[in-house]
Amino acid sequence: MAEFTAAVYQNEFLPDGGTDVSAIVTVTCAGAGSAGQRGAGEAGEIIIVDTSGSMGRTRLEAAKVAAAAAVDQIDDGTWFAVIAGAHQAYLAFPSVRAGAGMVKMDSGARHGAHQAIRMFRADGGTAMGTWLTLAGRLFDSVPFLAKKHAILLTDGENHNETPEQLTNAILGATGKFQCDCRGVGVDWEVSEVRRIAQALLGTVDIVPQPDQLQAEFAKLISDSMSRGVADAQLRVWAPQGAQVVFVRQVSPTVEDLTARRVAVNPLTGGYPTGSWGDESRDYHVNIRLSAKALGQEQLAARVQLAVGGEVVAQGLVKARWSSDDALTTRINPEVAHYTGQTELAEAIQDGLAAKAAGDAETATQKLGRAVQLAAATGNDEATSRLRKVVDIDNPETGTVRLKRAVDRADEMALDTASTKTTRVRG
Amino acid sequence: MTTPLLPEPVTESVPAPPEPGTDATAAIRCPSCGSEVTPAAAFCEVCGTRLDPVSEAPEPDAEVLEAPIELTRPVHAPEPAAATAVPARPCTSCGGVVGPDGYCETCGTKALSERDHYTEQPASWVAACCDKGVRHHRNEDAAAVAADPQPGSRAVLVVCDGVSTSADSDVASLAAVRAARAVLLAAQPVGMGTLVSRTAALAAAIQRAVESANEAVVAHTAPQSENPASCTFSAAVAIGDLIVFGNVGDSRTYWLPDPGGVERAAQLSVDDSVAQARMDMGVSRQEAETGPQSHAITNWLGKDSPDVKAQTGSITVADPGWLLVCSDGLWNYASEAEALQQLIHDLGGGGTDPLPICEALVAWANKQGGKDNITAALARLDRAPAA
Repeated sequence: MAEFTAAVYQNEFLPDGGTDVSAIVTVTCAGAGSAGQRGAGEAGEIIIVDTSGSMGRTRLEAAKVAAAAAVDQIDDGTWFAVIAGAHQAYLAFPSVRAGAGMVKMDSGARHGAHQAIRMFRADGGTAMGTWLTLAGRLFDSVPFLAKKHAILLTDGENHNETPEQLTNAILGATGKFQCDCRGVGVDWEVSEVRRIAQALLGTVDIVPQPDQLQAEFAKLISDSMSRGVADAQLRVWAPQGAQVVFVRQVSPTVEDLTARRVAVNPLTGGYPTGSWGDESRDYHVNIRLSAKALGQEQLAARVQLAVGGEVVAQGLVKARWSSDDALTTRINPEVAHYTGQTELAEAIQDGLAAKAAGDAETATQKLGRAVQLAAATGNDEATSRLRKVVDIDNPETGTVRLKRAVDRADEMALDTASTKTTRVRG
Repeated sequence: MTTPLLPEPVTESVPAPPEPGTDATAAIRCPSCGSEVTPAAAFCEVCGTRLDPVSEAPEPDAEVLEAPIELTRPVHAPEPAAATAVPARPCTSCGGVVGPDGYCETCGTKALSERDHYTEQPASWVAACCDKGVRHHRNEDAAAVAADPQPGSRAVLVVCDGVSTSADSDVASLAAVRAARAVLLAAQPVGMGTLVSRTAALAAAIQRAVESANEAVVAHTAPQSENPASCTFSAAVAIGDLIVFGNVGDSRTYWLPDPGGVERAAQLSVDDSVAQARMDMGVSRQEAETGPQSHAITNWLGKDSPDVKAQTGSITVADPGWLLVCSDGLWNYASEAEALQQLIHDLGGGGTDPLPICEALVAWANKQGGKDNITAALARLDRAPAA
């Protein structure tokens, strides 16, 4: 059985009158096993490939190879389907008109899927909302699926539907399945695709060259197959009268979960975390309490992970009021680190947005701050990505100049990777 | 507690609860909520927990028959292990349910463990209350009391105050008071000796109790400890009109006759402390007890004890009043005997049940700030003047 553990990193000491408690809670899963193998429900995978006219011959051929590689990575016994996406979504495989829109993987189905993928033609526009909606309906057609995961490949902007239509489609898919999104080339919009990935608890990344697609798709599916815990919920209990200021995932990526709260009971909020493999994720919670007398101790939060409605791990966030400045002024290194990493992600995204809007001054200031934070928190990956967009005069003060000529792929890579964080511990 | 110079460790240790009911001399308590229950009770009247009375009491053997203190039967909880690990009584702050992690499920307040706050009342006229206080993280004070049922007959009061800068002082102090109480209970004065011989015998018993308490403290110290557990000691035995007392460190014994009588309130014990040394040199109490190192003690129990020897004394009393043994968590806020005398009178409203007064003294000290653990043990000596 999968085993979850939780560890809490915080400074529990508050000064007289102090109210805000911050803590990093690391949740670790071990022994997750393979998807669909636990008897707690089966696994489903849907491969969504952009077949719009803009894909052209080169990219489409690469996408076909990638989709076939993804199909090869799906374990026998896993339910699956392949969607061809353009201004409408087409169920490419299995070719059914009624009943279950997915089939169980075996050698025959794998062969059939390969053949269907070979038939893809680049034609039509792009309406990603329709792709998501079809995927949701396909997953719904197999009611006993516990783990539902899709990969989505796109190459262009979502021209053939309004932002509202896409928003509605994302809302309709949220909570139904998880989706990792990849953009090939540089003609797609990072913020648009990130919106899908964030809502559907997946990742977003750029695949600059078509020949990189095959490896990327194979890895996405094999990673998904190794997530044996289909779904889990982060729960945060806070005392009566307290305020949960924010709940964020801060590792492996920054995701603000605060607004995704669903009430478990009046004092406990649940936040979706999707499926788990053998991995660790860090969460940053911030709770505002009413101050108590010096010397008093109280619980500020119970941070739990629940699988199938059952709490499998719990970390306790505490508050103790003290008059000892040596205790209350101590800054917890984990909290400080992730506070910096969260600000780093914001600074990168804000800086790139300002740059795109032609506001060079704000862009320089924000990206300069990002350089400073990346250096201070030891995020070398972010530093090297930033280096491709700005010339760094002084990383400590964050003094930078915008590069005159920037490879668009490098800028998009900086954007998609902005939420990736480094760990403070080994 | 004395000289808390260092911050307390962040690590939590759940001190062993005082195991109410397992001690032959302790009052029987509900293992769930700590309320006193009668030996025959099948349910706790306070919290409704199902009890397991030993309905067929074991035949008392010869030794038991000779024992001067009424023995009490053990009370079993349905799940004793759970009862000790998880305080099942409601949250003291909001009345909510306390979770298995030891915090209230509604307001998050840390539940008081049995060790953090407990009371004892072995007889109607003797009681003790021992409390963590407000500021401290754990209760390193301990109290153990015993008494014959007949009011004014015989009482044993022992208080130890663990030094907070040493390790495991909470466990050690509890072991110390229990060891000392056992020695003092066994020291039944034999025959019809003179007052002088009785007094000397009791003083010697107190010295033996100190040695036994010291052994208990050392036994609860890890061999390699760089901060060996240590504590103070103050004990008083009252037999009829005779009070014999002894102390090590700065826990105290007071005689507090009811106001308006002939006798004056007095601090009987003499502290082993820097403050006391300065008072001996002529410094005023006020100045000595608030000045530098006022809480530094010059003698204590434990592996690194300077001298395991109690300062003992005795007094015979005639007026009705209170014999008080307490820790500095109480006398910090009322050091003068007259102040304590007045305080008990004000808090008790002339009542003679010691338990509510002990609890009121603790609550009062908490209200003054509760900077330290607080312990008050009282015996009501209520001889009618004519008798």
